[in-house]
Amino acid sequence: MTDTARPRRFELPTDRRAIADTLFRFQSLFGLVVVFVVAVLASPQRNGELIFLSLSNLGNVVRAVSEIGIIAIGMTFVILIGGIDLSVGAVLGLSAVGTAILMVDSGWGVLPTVLVVLLIGAAFGALQGVATAVIGIQAFIVTLAGLQVARGLARIWSGGVGVPIAYGDGPQQAPPSFEILRGSINGVLPVPAVIFLVLGALAVVVLRTTAFARHVYAIGGNERAARLAGVPVTRVKIAVFTIAGLLTAVAGIIHAGQLSQGSPNDGIGYELNAIAAVVIGGTSLAGGVGTMSGTLAGALLLGILTNILGLNNIDANIQLLITGLVIVAAAGLQKLRRTVT
Amino acid sequence: MPDSAGALVTMSGITKRFGGVLACDDAELSVGAGEVRALLGENGAGKSTLMNVLAGVITDHEGTITVAGRPCRFRGPADAQAAGIAMIHQELDLVPGLSVAENIFLGREPRTRLRTVDTRRMAAAARAQLAELGVELDPNRSVGSLRVGEQQLVEIAKALLSNALSTDARVLVMDEPTAALADAEVRLLFATIARLRERGVAIIYISHRMEEIEEIADRATVMRNGRVAGTVDPRTATRREVIELMVGRAEDEQFGHVPDADRGRVLLEVRGLAVHPSGHRPGRTDPAGIDLTVDEGEIVGLAGLMGAGRTELLETLYGAAPAGRITGSVRLGGRPYAPSGPRAALARGVGLVPEDRRGSGLQLDHSVGHNIALTALRSLCTAGVVRARRERRSVREQIAALAIRTTSAAVPVGTLSGGNQQKVVFARQLLARPRLLLLDEPTRGIDIGAKAELYRLLQRLAGEGIGILFASSELPELLGVCDRIVVLRRGRVAADLPRHRADQAAVLAAAMGSARGDQE
Repeated sequence: MTDTARPRRFELPTDRRAIADTLFRFQSLFGLVVVFVVAVLASPQRNGELIFLSLSNLGNVVRAVSEIGIIAIGMTFVILIGGIDLSVGAVLGLSAVGTAILMVDSGWGVLPTVLVVLLIGAAFGALQGVATAVIGIQAFIVTLAGLQVARGLARIWSGGVGVPIAYGDGPQQAPPSFEILRGSINGVLPVPAVIFLVLGALAVVVLRTTAFARHVYAIGGNERAARLAGVPVTRVKIAVFTIAGLLTAVAGIIHAGQLSQGSPNDGIGYELNAIAAVVIGGTSLAGGVGTMSGTLAGALLLGILTNILGLNNIDANIQLLITGLVIVAAAGLQKLRRTVT
Repeated sequence: MPDSAGALVTMSGITKRFGGVLACDDAELSVGAGEVRALLGENGAGKSTLMNVLAGVITDHEGTITVAGRPCRFRGPADAQAAGIAMIHQELDLVPGLSVAENIFLGREPRTRLRTVDTRRMAAAARAQLAELGVELDPNRSVGSLRVGEQQLVEIAKALLSNALSTDARVLVMDEPTAALADAEVRLLFATIARLRERGVAIIYISHRMEEIEEIADRATVMRNGRVAGTVDPRTATRREVIELMVGRAEDEQFGHVPDADRGRVLLEVRGLAVHPSGHRPGRTDPAGIDLTVDEGEIVGLAGLMGAGRTELLETLYGAAPAGRITGSVRLGGRPYAPSGPRAALARGVGLVPEDRRGSGLQLDHSVGHNIALTALRSLCTAGVVRARRERRSVREQIAALAIRTTSAAVPVGTLSGGNQQKVVFARQLLARPRLLLLDEPTRGIDIGAKAELYRLLQRLAGEGIGILFASSELPELLGVCDRIVVLRRGRVAADLPRHRADQAAVLAAAMGSARGDQE
């Protein structure tokens, strides 16, 4: 082949192609490993021990990503059908406010509070699903409107101020059992982290094995073909948005528990972090392609990044900048993958 | 064989690999000015790859290209166009949201003195170019509202116009231009090709339709496994010779027809079916009072010109048509049948193989296995969980039964050849065990070998008692395969011809109406 021709594709020898394919397929996992190693190398020491690797710090990493991670699980379903959910941050705020008010002001027990808040989140998601799937408004618009509505509801319900949660058996106090969200198992694994990991594992299984997941992928891959193949497109779409709303409510309850308050301004910008985790995980915003394990890895990667930058006292604004670059790098790798393999 | 002296374009030693697959293997081709050269070969023979090299779409190949005596090395389609080579791709490159004129002039819009787009000049030039093709089409209509056949004509106008801009060498590559065209439009296209030939344009014409090649090609080059298997004079070569070159084996009975057996009871009975659409839908011909029946085990052909309403009828029967009030009665297996959607149709045992397999038939990025299993997922599940082993077995059975050529069930279906993609669409429907199959142009864009396989498949399915309604623009295949041919014209049944009374002339006469071009 002549040298004058500049190959526009990134050519790899065939034997390395398989390696490249594997690398790209588990891109987010490898990215996670790389970031982990970098974090170990960059970790400050205390008494000759790496702070980053201490059990309490690692537990903290997972605890810190649990809310975004749980939201990102739902977001993955939504993005897989070719949609987007911008409302999750505001729905988290609404859920946190609801949790605090129902327990503190209304004096409800933990179980009814949790059930009602979950119902609120699911119903909110379902309504957005109906607006996109039945009426046919684009998900971007529906959930942008949903963001405003949920934030407005949260402010109206709370009177615009945060509702602190004090624990005890008296009036204006939440049941002490709710404090479990601030605790940890064996003093190592925080409860929110456990919830995140369990839900994550469940979601991995669901997305790998169920007919529902096949339908989700099929709709994202080619909605018209899916409809013609008998996929109940409308029902699946509504279900996906309902799942996203439900999981966001779970994150909202955890949020209220962790901070011991529910503020109408909670969760601002969370939708972007959740989308970032999904994108870093290799899920295509065009829909139809992606994995749940990628999303979980993406969320953890972001968490480790934030953690190690914080441990090194790096300015929060620079953290933002670095996170942005990581997202672009992840998306760029996906693009490269399509060219190479 | 190729005499490079006097050749307008010469390609030699062209080799191109996709991964481990050798798509072109030392292929050569040489075409003279004013020559119409047919390029044949089974799917995957390397025709499209070779032409994509010529059109500058594929740039990382081995071998050389010479145009009008000058060696060329294209770095992109723009280079090839500058050298006077235009290509009309099999998958149309049109922007659905833009108008006909905007598509034709995309990227080279005429400007006014203020550098804004001169829409009036653009529309006029587009209209003139379409008129030269003999097409009457409003240049301001959006391309998305056109039928596939009309879009193809727009694509041809676009390519001709880009070609007309360059001066010396002029080569026009057409990748199955007639695949979506009804017979009347094919006549138009051939007239245009004849005109271009007189102007000295070299035309490379990829097609699977032997009769067309015999009619218009000066020479026919056959490719097999990435190499040129031979070049023949289509007027003297027999079809058997050509097919042998293509497949390396003799094709005995292309249609493989079985004699009329005792057919079963009436499966589908349509009486006075009409759709009254909610709102105006340009370019659609809804059923306007259709009567027809399909017996169990019967293959009924659905013929008609473009816009006769074949697709709309099939969509209505599958519950997939846009909203509208439906009148008349449809009975399936003796019971009233009015599907609320594809899901309901499938539940009653009706399957559809849609017209546009890439747009409506498949999830191209997804694996062959997942594509095949989609329609029948519920039967492969226990409590909502797909049983992997059961699924693998079903998928394997379908791949074997339809002889789908794929390295494994895990590769993306988009990497298969057109014929094998179509078999995947069939497999998806067959796994749902239909009683009635609605087929919309199922053989479009697939090679002659795969076609013969599909015909045999249809015979086998009919033998199992499945009723088949088979819409096609290719009369020979309808005449060869069907027990009966229903001819549609403007949403109505123009003729219902049993096999012994159906021939090309009778079907065409019914499709065009008594007086040609009358306006009702």
